[in-house]
Amino acid sequence: MDININDKDGRKIVDIIQSYASKHSLWVLAYGTGCGAIEIPPTMTSRYDAERFGITGRPTPRMADVLLITGYLATKTLKRVIRSYEQMQSPKYVIGFGSCTINGGMYWDSYNTIKSLDHYLPVDVYINGCMPRPEAVISGFVKLQEMISNGEAKGWEKYRDNIDLYRSQQKEVIKNWQMPDYNW
Amino acid sequence: MMNDTIKDLKTEQAFANQIQKTFKTARVRVVREKRVEVIMSADMIPPYLTHAKNQHDFEHLTHISCVDWLEEGHFELVYILWSYSMNIQLLVKCRIPRHEPEFISIHKIWDHAETYEREIHEMYGITFAGNDNLGEFLLEDWDGPPPMRRDFDTVKYSQENFKDRMDARQDAQNVRETITKRSGEEMPDFAKPYSLR
Repeated sequence: MDININDKDGRKIVDIIQSYASKHSLWVLAYGTGCGAIEIPPTMTSRYDAERFGITGRPTPRMADVLLITGYLATKTLKRVIRSYEQMQSPKYVIGFGSCTINGGMYWDSYNTIKSLDHYLPVDVYINGCMPRPEAVISGFVKLQEMISNGEAKGWEKYRDNIDLYRSQQKEVIKNWQMPDYNW
Repeated sequence: MMNDTIKDLKTEQAFANQIQKTFKTARVRVVREKRVEVIMSADMIPPYLTHAKNQHDFEHLTHISCVDWLEEGHFELVYILWSYSMNIQLLVKCRIPRHEPEFISIHKIWDHAETYEREIHEMYGITFAGNDNLGEFLLEDWDGPPPMRRDFDTVKYSQENFKDRMDARQDAQNVRETITKRSGEEMPDFAKPYSLR
């Protein structure tokens, strides 16, 4: 094992530069589930102006870095979310938004809504609240930026390494599994 | 101005009397202004709806609704119609037995009734004879009982099927208090509870 003089805490200098770049260009997939998506326009537009942090929307999963789950997920929506997540290029991050993604929120007794998102996708940051205000959203993004610069936001590696576990948990709620396999 | 707000129910009453004369077995009631309710046996529903559409200009089927009367063993179907010429909302109600949830489709009278019937079929398990499109509608891969029936226990179903967070804290706490304590700031006046102001 060769140690470069520029390496810091076991991280390569190239990783540090790469994380510096990626934390300042968090591109969010423009995909809203549930009611939380209504907080995204004020976050993005001139009053709260999230673009000063490098946060902006992208139309397709292949351009995006961040998957923002803005609210409750019906099992039907979860299927689409998993497909979108698997098409994203790594490094990729998931932010759970609102109490519905944390423990079901007001849909705790619904027959068709999942309760805890991190059984099915690796969540890096949770933002609580129902709804979280744009300040809270930005605070969540800043937390994610800190985690990226410290090399802690490794949800996508966790997902890649434990794909069988995640698949089995996903298949518990999505009974008729007809999805393409993506390779990383 | 007062005279405008207090409406006489002349139109509604005249219309109700007219139905009562034609359909003797039906129970007709003026609920309030612009709303008339007709309760009739299930076999009278298709002829009555045709009559209402053709004779009384009820050209708009707003919705088909379903009520589960679990204790009495009935499903109640409510056809909600609107007449643009009379400005009356008409509720046509009938009951069908719960153990034999079958009824006839009315999609030949209003085309879009097919969609409402699909929804009722999925949520209550009522089959509509003549509607060939009663497949999967809103729920995907659903294999449980129809979820809007009252004997379906949603809490039990969701506990069995969806994993909950086991380490969750169940008590409610004041988020603002926690944040101000953590950051060492003073809570602004508008955020304090009324008892502390």
